[in-house]
Amino acid sequence: MTDIAIDNEPHANVAWRKWAIHGGRLALAAALILAWEYGARTLGRLFFAPPLDVLERIVTLAASGQMLTDIAATMRVSAAGFAIAALCGVLLPLLLRRSLRATEAVEPYIMASMGIPKYALAPWLILWFGIGDLPKLVVVTLVVFYILYITTFAGIRGVDQRLINMARVIGASERVIAREIIWTSLLPFFFTGLKIAFPRAVSATIVGEFLVSTEGVGRSIEHARQISDTTGVFAGVVIAIALVLAINGIVNLIERWALRWRPVERDMQI
Amino acid sequence: MAAALLEIRQLGKRFAQRQGRDQGREPSPWVIQDLSFSVREGEFLTIVGPSGAGKSTLLNVIAQIDTATTGEIVFDGATVSTRDPRALKPGIDRRIGYVTQDDNLLPWRNTLDNVLFALEVQGRLNDETRARAEMLIRAVGLAGFEHYYPHELSGGMRKRTALIRTLVYDPPVILMDEPFAAVDAQTRTQLQADLLALWELGRKTIIFVTHDITEAIALGDRALVLSKQPSRIAAEHAIRIPRPRNVKDIFALEGFAAIYEKIRADVQ
Repeated sequence: MTDIAIDNEPHANVAWRKWAIHGGRLALAAALILAWEYGARTLGRLFFAPPLDVLERIVTLAASGQMLTDIAATMRVSAAGFAIAALCGVLLPLLLRRSLRATEAVEPYIMASMGIPKYALAPWLILWFGIGDLPKLVVVTLVVFYILYITTFAGIRGVDQRLINMARVIGASERVIAREIIWTSLLPFFFTGLKIAFPRAVSATIVGEFLVSTEGVGRSIEHARQISDTTGVFAGVVIAIALVLAINGIVNLIERWALRWRPVERDMQI
Repeated sequence: MAAALLEIRQLGKRFAQRQGRDQGREPSPWVIQDLSFSVREGEFLTIVGPSGAGKSTLLNVIAQIDTATTGEIVFDGATVSTRDPRALKPGIDRRIGYVTQDDNLLPWRNTLDNVLFALEVQGRLNDETRARAEMLIRAVGLAGFEHYYPHELSGGMRKRTALIRTLVYDPPVILMDEPFAAVDAQTRTQLQADLLALWELGRKTIIFVTHDITEAIALGDRALVLSKQPSRIAAEHAIRIPRPRNVKDIFALEGFAAIYEKIRADVQ
């Protein structure tokens, strides 16, 4: 019966689904905030800072300009680390694609280095790279690199060889094939990697800021923690979440534009 | 008889063994063995063979996507075949076009941009070639669909797009691998008629592979019959049905039934 209704009234159905999703989201947010408020009342302010206090703190932070400075500092390190990692994580597979032997030789080392617990090395990273942005940059780069390296390689292995053959017969150079066919084919994989890697980059920066920094969202959280300011910690966490959501929204917009040729992207739009 | 433009001499093909598991076993079987034929300039040659007769492999070797194991291919007076995969020159300098069984359209390019792809990569995109592309799009009834992506087109429309993507850059030889196999009967007849109309305009040299005997007769000047694996030429038939042919009524034409029976007897 539902199928028939969908066929008869596609527009009404789409509109209804849209409202159902938005309504569901709002209801979920309300439930979460209520549970949060309930936690604060029963367990006390040290355990859970009440939502209104957190909101008030965020407004104060925003008004004083502190929030913007923190976000700018965190984003500076995240973006720089992300850019370096993205460059290496995408270029390396594209170069290795040319040689199966080189790939097989290099792969175990890359996988082994992925196993290094980066945060455990934090004191040594500070020892090696000082207390500026550099140690954080190294951690962010390492965290992001593997995600993009693995997703890009998966994309390259998924390229349709028949399209490459067709392009060769037509007379396309290897450069054109790399740019037009391989790159475009791996874009969906690349965006999947971006969506995993970007929040990770921000998280890694924030954790890095716990350990060593003079500014940033992570340092704000750490500072509040040291003086047992639960409201300050919660405010920092909310800012971090908002930051990740905002970045994810931007990545989604870019993805939708770059992959507008994909049938799934259209069909999945609500 | 005009000199052969393309000559296949004692061609043999078998695939390399897979690494590891198959190593040390007896060599893989021949897909094609001792296969010879030639094509004249401007000839429409059809090749009929049962499924799994190595038809696609044969065209891949001629298009130089794959190497020949034995024998040689002479094109325009020069030996072009090679045993070294790295020395392959797919499409040999854009003189051999290849319309594959799958349309292989680029999913991120719309109809017009798929057709223009060949001209773009060859650095030959100008007002004149663009006008030719638009003429071909109109000729096969795709006007109005220039800005549709492949997934928005029907199977027949995708076939037409793939066909004119090759025609637009005007290679002297075109290989076709069952290009109309995956569409319904009416669309197929229409596509055949379109192809013949386009061929009458330019008289390219075409090697058209199919498992459909009717199609082989309707389109070709000459039909070769392939044996089962390993592929050899089992028979050769000249098709003397006068052109222009009406593909829709091909059954009714004089001589059709006789040639059909002969080819059917040869196809194992």
